[in-house]
Amino acid sequence: MATTAPARGAVGRFLDATEIDTRMLGMIAAVVIIWLGFHVASGGVFLTPRNLWNLSVQTASIAVMSTGMVLVIVTRNIDLSVGSVLGFTGMMMGVMQAEWLPALLGFDHPATWVIALTFGIGVGVAIGALHGWVIAYLGVPAFIVTLGGLLAWRGAAWWVTSGRTVAPMDGDFRLIGGGTAGSIGATWSWVVAALACAAILWGIVAGRARRRRWGFPLRPVWAEGFLATIGCGAVLGAVALFNAYPWPRGVTRRWAEANGIDIPEGGLFIAHGIAVPVLLAIAAAVIMTFIARNTRFGRYVFAIGGNPEAADLAGINTRWVRMKIFMLMGGLTALGAAISTARLNAATNSQGTLDELYVIAAAVIGGTSLSGGVGTIAGAVLGAVVMQSLQSGMVLMGLDTPLQNIVVGMVLVMAVWLDTVYRQRAG
Amino acid sequence: MRLFSLLCTVTGTVLGVGLVAGQAAALTVAVSWSNFQEERWKTDEAAMKAKLEELGAEYISADAASSPAKQLTDVESLIARGADAIIILAQDSDAIGPAVQRAVDEGIPVVGYDRLIEIPDAFYITFDNKEVGRMQARAVFEQAPEGNYVFIKGSSADPNADFLFSGSIEVLQDAIDAGTIKNVGEAYTDGWLPANAQRNMEQFLTANDNEVDAVVAANDGTAGGVVAALSAQGLDGSVPVSGQDGDHAALNRVALGTQTVSVWKDARDLGAKAAEIAVELANGTAMGDVEGAVSFSGGPKGVAMTSFFLKPVPITQDKLSVVIDAGWVDRAVVCQGVPAGSLDVCN
Amino acid sequence: MDTAPVTPLVEMRNISIAFGGIHAVEDVSVDLRPGEVVGLLGHNGAGKSTLIKILSGAYQRDAGEIYLGGEKAAIDNPRDAKAYGIETIYQTLALADNVDAAANLFLGRELLTPWGTLDDAAMEAACREVMGRLNANFKRFKEPVAALSGGQRQSVAIARAIHFDARVLIMDEPTAALGPQETAQVADLIKQLKAQGIGIFLISHDIHDVFDLSDRVSVMKNGRLVGTARTEDVTKDEVLGMIILGKCPPGAVPGNGATA
Repeated sequence: MATTAPARGAVGRFLDATEIDTRMLGMIAAVVIIWLGFHVASGGVFLTPRNLWNLSVQTASIAVMSTGMVLVIVTRNIDLSVGSVLGFTGMMMGVMQAEWLPALLGFDHPATWVIALTFGIGVGVAIGALHGWVIAYLGVPAFIVTLGGLLAWRGAAWWVTSGRTVAPMDGDFRLIGGGTAGSIGATWSWVVAALACAAILWGIVAGRARRRRWGFPLRPVWAEGFLATIGCGAVLGAVALFNAYPWPRGVTRRWAEANGIDIPEGGLFIAHGIAVPVLLAIAAAVIMTFIARNTRFGRYVFAIGGNPEAADLAGINTRWVRMKIFMLMGGLTALGAAISTARLNAATNSQGTLDELYVIAAAVIGGTSLSGGVGTIAGAVLGAVVMQSLQSGMVLMGLDTPLQNIVVGMVLVMAVWLDTVYRQRAG
Repeated sequence: MRLFSLLCTVTGTVLGVGLVAGQAAALTVAVSWSNFQEERWKTDEAAMKAKLEELGAEYISADAASSPAKQLTDVESLIARGADAIIILAQDSDAIGPAVQRAVDEGIPVVGYDRLIEIPDAFYITFDNKEVGRMQARAVFEQAPEGNYVFIKGSSADPNADFLFSGSIEVLQDAIDAGTIKNVGEAYTDGWLPANAQRNMEQFLTANDNEVDAVVAANDGTAGGVVAALSAQGLDGSVPVSGQDGDHAALNRVALGTQTVSVWKDARDLGAKAAEIAVELANGTAMGDVEGAVSFSGGPKGVAMTSFFLKPVPITQDKLSVVIDAGWVDRAVVCQGVPAGSLDVCN
Repeated sequence: MDTAPVTPLVEMRNISIAFGGIHAVEDVSVDLRPGEVVGLLGHNGAGKSTLIKILSGAYQRDAGEIYLGGEKAAIDNPRDAKAYGIETIYQTLALADNVDAAANLFLGRELLTPWGTLDDAAMEAACREVMGRLNANFKRFKEPVAALSGGQRQSVAIARAIHFDARVLIMDEPTAALGPQETAQVADLIKQLKAQGIGIFLISHDIHDVFDLSDRVSVMKNGRLVGTARTEDVTKDEVLGMIILGKCPPGAVPGNGATA
């Protein structure tokens, strides 16, 4: 690394040593700027624990689905049916827990939520398998198959109950959607943070040990230390933030009454902690990242995206890989449906309308290339955060829906344009 | 030739039966639906069919599946199939214009069903949407005569959303002017989606630090989103919320006390009345001579229309028996989860 | 070259394949012995690449049989071919441009850890080792192969073919995109592999690329075999005559596509 100008050289050396993805850094910077902008514009409401906690829950469903969309788009496919499949699987889960199971097990049976969720995810995977099979084995373009799916599954969602809204959801199932009960509280949040921190440290130490064993070049120790600090700091900071948002007074009072506890003067502080849907979204992102980077399947997904013919000639069963991608997408869509259904405490046949576009936009804003081969799960999740920040922030500012849509549309186009410029520069 | 003779026999039989049936013989009333994606139109259809059968008229229909373009061809084909009167549930109130004109040119009377078609040659029948808005506001106002109000409006693409809102504001205007009621947030709900209503409500609660005393929500779907947002803050049941449509889930919320009112428009009344008027018009009655017809010019373009307005019913907790007695919903559905003995209807 | 009694490594007998009524390859037979280099020559569109893709499993033949070491072989896809030790370096190189050299080297045959996950470190180590032998200057192990030069990409493709103990190597226009120095390197490599007993099919439309490297040449024209000859029995001009006119010289064994 030749240092031409000292400052540039220092930054360059720093980035080289830490191997930080500058694209990702740019996205994080964009999020920070958006957040600060809204904080000022909304009169100091945006960057509060409460709003950020809300934002995290609002993002969860789209974020879960965007992790699957990355793989779909990386292999040069598209899934336009996500919103409709969400509507259908949500409806199936709703009917299962509100109508079918109570008839068999009675209301509020403890197994209801497990059966409903498993059933919903099963339906999602089956739908994905159907789409994937037609795409991979019958050779119908994904655009067409999923466009058909967009129409068909929306209609199917209607048929389940002839358009009737199904409510309310099972009490345990509702926890998937967040809320005060659907959050894990301060103690468990710290436990999750500690585990995450330990995982980060272990990853860095084990990675270093492995590279040393094979005699590969090592990162400087200070760079490893920096990465560990930043990673752990971000996790602990986020948890501290979620723990700073207390239960609302009304909920606290009800809870205290129900448990026979006297509320002390100055109120009772019970922290929300991490919401269950957010935990699910994080789990989905971590598992999907692992699948993409550390399994054969993930490697094949990217190879197919880079050069489908080469993947075929290398002996990869590309059809089966494609079908599996759509099955995964279907399962994740059902999980997204569970989150949004539980959150709304109702299954409606219009649920998820236009979600396919938000999911695709999240993946694309997050740097997934529509020409295939490129994309990261973390980027897509960040993309979902950007989109949701824009929408929630504009409501806080009192801007109305049509204007919100204009802004989100412009941001989408701008994000992809910036990405194109970045890629050209990076060569 | 066999087919032809068969047709002759069938037609003859139909005519014969029609003649026996009475004066309204062989009248055909056509209905062009915008889309059957919504639950309620099935109810309307059943009511129309029953009424037409009673009047001895034949029912034919087409479903435009949400496409304004398909609805144009639908209407043309219904005319070709020999309709004597056409009831149109317009997918797009402007784009339907040429189709209505075609029917009018053929001398076929047109009844605009539920959605306004602003052409003076068409008859307009609907529930009084402004009145729905008024009823929503009245019910909420009764519970919360002062304080911070949030308005969760319908889709910005639907003119009904504005009718509803203007009706609500009409009732609350004095209190707003007096300063006892403060509008702390209003937002359209894109596509009427409950999830969007929920997000908007969450943001209003955040922006006002939970100091919201009443919510005027445009329909039961958006009310569902609002109640979900309120319950996350432990405010469900203490903040009055309005709605409309008489959705089963919403009636259950009314019973539970988390929703104040669901303004119910009995689709069966609307369907039956439309059928009745269509037959009347087909028999040559002038539009102005239909009983109860009024002139209405409150549409976006201000065209004077001959109209018939049905009065909706606000269903509050003490009126739940109305919907149950009408057979609209089962008592068990309404009363699910209601503590025993807390509500008379549920005992 | 008294290899006649040796069982051929590869024998493709009476192979035919048609695409939508066009006979791309019609009743062609070729063979290859251990440690032998056979040049497969012909104009563009003569059917030589198609013939060889049948051997590598990319296409499924309509008729004919393939024998490996005298045993009938069932090759229906690239995986089958690789299982028989048949490796191919395609003219397009067939690299996944968006992943690094190690990922391409092991594509479809990844090394796994005991937990079933990708063992990237082991793959990178193996890649460093094999690339060190082929192209000592190669250092860009962490970059996607799209960022590499033509020669470097060629090295990756060759490394992939020779790393897995190939018995048969197919090289489709191996030097078409290379400069003189790199071409010489490839020639050296071919000699080295030949010495290890590997049989090599060299495919080219240009006789000068392969004549000196080959022990025998087979010439194709319009999907048929003009003939096969040992390079010591024929001249370059005679082979040119086979390619252009389809005329089989006295030193060659005529095939079904020879004129008169």
